[in-house]
Amino acid sequence: MTVTWTIFRREFASFFVTPTAYIIAAGFMLFTGVFFSQEFQVAAVRRIPINPATIPSLVSYMLVFFAPLFTMRLFAEEKREGTVELLLTAPVSEASIVVAKFMAAWAYVTILLGITLVYQAILATYAPQDIGHTILAYIGIWLYSGTVISIGMMFSALTENQIVSAFSSLLTLLILYVGDGVGGIIGNIQLSEIMRSLSLEAHYSTSFAAGLFRAEDAAFYAGVIVIMLFLTMRILESNRWR
Amino acid sequence: MIEVKSLTRLYGEVIAVDHISFKAASGEIVGLLGPNGAGKTTTMRMLTGFLPPTSGSAKIGKYDIVEDSMEARRRVGYLPERVPLYQDMTVFGYILFWAQLRQVKAPRDRTVDVLKRFDLLGRRDKLVRQLSKGLRQRLGLAQALVHDPPVIILDEPTIGIDPQQVIEVRQAVRDLRKSHTVLFSTHILSEAEEICDRVVIIDKGRIVAQGTPDALEKQVRANSFTLEVGRLAPERVLEVLRAIPGVASVKRRDAHFSVETDGSRDVRGDISGAIVAAGGELLEMKQVKSSLEDVFLRAVQSAADNPQGQKKS
Amino acid sequence: MTQKSGYVLTRGRAAQIASFVGITGLITGAIGMVWRSGASANYALIAIIIGGLGIALWAGLTPREFRETITGKRVRYGTVTIVSTALLIGIVTLTYMLLQSAALTLDVTQNQSFTLSQETLNVLRRVSRPIRLTGFYTARNLAARELDDQFFRLYTTATNGLIERDYIDPEQNPAMAGRFGVQEDGQLYISYLDAAGEIDMTTVSRVPRGESQERDVTQAISRMLIAGTIKIYFATGADERDAFDTTAEGIAGINNGIRESGLLTDTLNISQIAMANGDIPNDAAALIITRPLRDLTGAETDVIRRYMDGGGGLLLMPDVTYNEDRFMSETGTFNTWLWQTFGLRALDAAVVDPDASASSALDVISAVVFTESPIASRINPEAGTQTLFRVARVVEADLLSTPANIANGRIIMTTPFGFGERNLADLGATNTFGFDEGEDIPGPVSTAVWATHQVTGSRVVLIGDSDFVSNGQVLSAPGNGILFTDALSWVSGFSDEIQFAPQAFTSGLPTVFVSQQQVDLVVFLSVILVPGILLVSGLAIYARRVRR
Repeated sequence: MTVTWTIFRREFASFFVTPTAYIIAAGFMLFTGVFFSQEFQVAAVRRIPINPATIPSLVSYMLVFFAPLFTMRLFAEEKREGTVELLLTAPVSEASIVVAKFMAAWAYVTILLGITLVYQAILATYAPQDIGHTILAYIGIWLYSGTVISIGMMFSALTENQIVSAFSSLLTLLILYVGDGVGGIIGNIQLSEIMRSLSLEAHYSTSFAAGLFRAEDAAFYAGVIVIMLFLTMRILESNRWR
Repeated sequence: MIEVKSLTRLYGEVIAVDHISFKAASGEIVGLLGPNGAGKTTTMRMLTGFLPPTSGSAKIGKYDIVEDSMEARRRVGYLPERVPLYQDMTVFGYILFWAQLRQVKAPRDRTVDVLKRFDLLGRRDKLVRQLSKGLRQRLGLAQALVHDPPVIILDEPTIGIDPQQVIEVRQAVRDLRKSHTVLFSTHILSEAEEICDRVVIIDKGRIVAQGTPDALEKQVRANSFTLEVGRLAPERVLEVLRAIPGVASVKRRDAHFSVETDGSRDVRGDISGAIVAAGGELLEMKQVKSSLEDVFLRAVQSAADNPQGQKKS
Repeated sequence: MTQKSGYVLTRGRAAQIASFVGITGLITGAIGMVWRSGASANYALIAIIIGGLGIALWAGLTPREFRETITGKRVRYGTVTIVSTALLIGIVTLTYMLLQSAALTLDVTQNQSFTLSQETLNVLRRVSRPIRLTGFYTARNLAARELDDQFFRLYTTATNGLIERDYIDPEQNPAMAGRFGVQEDGQLYISYLDAAGEIDMTTVSRVPRGESQERDVTQAISRMLIAGTIKIYFATGADERDAFDTTAEGIAGINNGIRESGLLTDTLNISQIAMANGDIPNDAAALIITRPLRDLTGAETDVIRRYMDGGGGLLLMPDVTYNEDRFMSETGTFNTWLWQTFGLRALDAAVVDPDASASSALDVISAVVFTESPIASRINPEAGTQTLFRVARVVEADLLSTPANIANGRIIMTTPFGFGERNLADLGATNTFGFDEGEDIPGPVSTAVWATHQVTGSRVVLIGDSDFVSNGQVLSAPGNGILFTDALSWVSGFSDEIQFAPQAFTSGLPTVFVSQQQVDLVVFLSVILVPGILLVSGLAIYARRVRR
């Protein structure tokens, strides 16, 4: 546990010693900011309500593009620098390494999500907010972000090339994201239903974002995270076996 | 301290390490000598727990590297060939991280000690990426030593740094003698000769020779001579020498002849006797002053001649 | 050892992927088979087929490894990974399905958007026959379907499955969509099921989709429940507007609308009843009298009086007519009885409102609406649901000396500049009007009023116009239909079936006026300040690193 904490701290700190993480965060906040101010302007002028899940729902889309940017380096960089060899020869289990790195990336995204609370605060000063709905939407997007990170991390462990890692996770996430609306393309309702139940967005948009907590959606995200962490461990281990 | 028994490693169908066995006692510096691709790195990776062996076993102290992997890893300090660095950490932070990861008691004090030892304390707040190559090598060594492990494994620690730094690193390794068991790989013979208590020569995954540098040299020295013979036709000399039991080969080099024996007996008396008996005159007979290089080349050569080396298991 | 870069698909790796797909397919297929029957069995079959193909591919690509794995001679590391991963996926899938079928949900919204209100539960308690909600959603609309279903599911749960849900893709099943008359994606229908469990097509009606999903669905169910129990009579015998006349002057349109809402309608000749000394039938929930061309006689008034004494409902729509014996003439028997009993009457004057009118000052628009009255809550001139009366009678509610046991009030009123033109002869002959001090009624004047008897429960709505519900004009203003429907719902007691407390909390509605400056501030904050701070911090870190 101490060891996991040590790796977590190093990993988490590494986000903040390079300018990259700040620039990613700035880009992320710029996109959300532009979108939010547009929504706000329209709503304020026409005096119509703003859905509390507006910002979290936007984040769910943006994470598809932003998450690979900071998950790509998780393992790919260690492999490139050779530090993975030292980590794996230290008295540390693969589980500790994988969990610590995952938690560090998740903590980083949690901070990003925390910054977007600024927008919720602005909304609260202008109109009464449905606090329960807002909190649930944020819990949902938090679980969602964990899932996205776990997938990105898995791809990072597969390769030592950061670009390959980022691109393959972006592609996967995009497919998992649009799976929600794939019915528009394929038209077959049974197939669309299956695609939907596998897509990331479908477990968020109709429950967490609507203010309804569904146990199975939380289980879906937790399950994908567990599977991805397990796969990452195995991939990491396979470096030894090949 | 290190005990390797019949250790074997396959990459798919390719044998990287083929049933090697050797030991390293406490406080000994053992050199692992061989050309590139001989299996040195694979052997070390198995000992550090990075790669599991296909068959065979090895122990660090009394801990098996597979059965008690965690305990074995705790007792090993490792510096891979390419020094693994977190570029964006400070020198202090980097060493402290490894100290904490290996659960050193009082990690901060220990980090300061080890930085002092490698003369890096003045640069403690520098970023790793700003260090020169030699300093990085020292940082790598500091990392391997921070938890004061009984066994230290260094993979080609002197590669790619300037001569002054090579001397420093060699000195640093020598300083570890007695307090640590060091397994050290190199393809530079003089280095092994200079530093190591014992040398294990491997080629194509197999041990071809092992012993102290002196013993290995002696082995070669006892077995080869150069002769200068007068009053006898060179063809006749070759004929006479080849007839002597125990002589493996004779080659003519201008007026000189080099003789190699199989080492089964001392043939010096027989040689002089035979030359004189044939009506010749022995002008000079001198034992070849050979180095580890000869041992190495001979060992590698004989391994190549030996069809066993090519066998697939 | 050589460093591996990128991702190379080797034969061995392809075989691993194939084995993974194969085992996963088999496991999920097995779960599907065990877990559910019916439609999902097809998916389970598909999964098993995919699984079989994966295994076959595995066997084909690396036959030796496959043989050794199967015979247990050599369980390779990679295979262990594959099996354990597949097992993990199986566990996760099973957990997911268990939770899904358990439907553990928690509604956190302040409005309780995913919880049925007590009013709805009261209605659902009366459901005794299987009802089916049939939704038509295309594959493009699955998210909306899921969201709706989470709400409809509550009805199923609350009735222990008596209310069923079924979803049909109108593109896959156009014949079915045609039978229901589906016009757009996401339409919802309600119907009873017959003894065979099939939809009883005679009971199918469309569920309107408005602001409140709960009100729409519950009202639809409620209509199903009371369909056939509420009967509305249109009075005939004195040249009233004809409930079956489909020309511009007739009112067949609203008659059909009432029937489509599940109510029964019929006609009733009041004068024949009066002559036979009979009574209005007991099943009459309401009586509608739409602009007869003569006033009611004393005998006819007695018929209505007896009906009202028994707790009846009366919807009166006199109009401006230019004959002497006009319906509800100011001093007529009927008008006098109504004034004395309910404190309501019609005056012999036409409504003029120069400030709230259409093409002529006689075409009055609902200027002041008493939304707290039982009828007018949905009429809002500002939201575009105003009413439009063309040449209407002035009506009055006696608010000062209300008769005993009566509660009454106004529904719609003109602006203060409106007035009642008394000179109907000139108006009819030459269409001239103008306010004459001392003669005409000063405004504001009422155009619609209501009253109820608190002991007998009888209810009256008096509207000074009738052509607003004629086929020709009922659509001329959005409020016309609403006023009629809500007035009828109220007098017949239909609206008592389902009453909803308005939702107290409207999320996110601005309570303060947001000025342009404040909007600019928000834009500055979110587009420039927050990203800017992050960017500057990044640059600062970079600068510090360079300097070191």
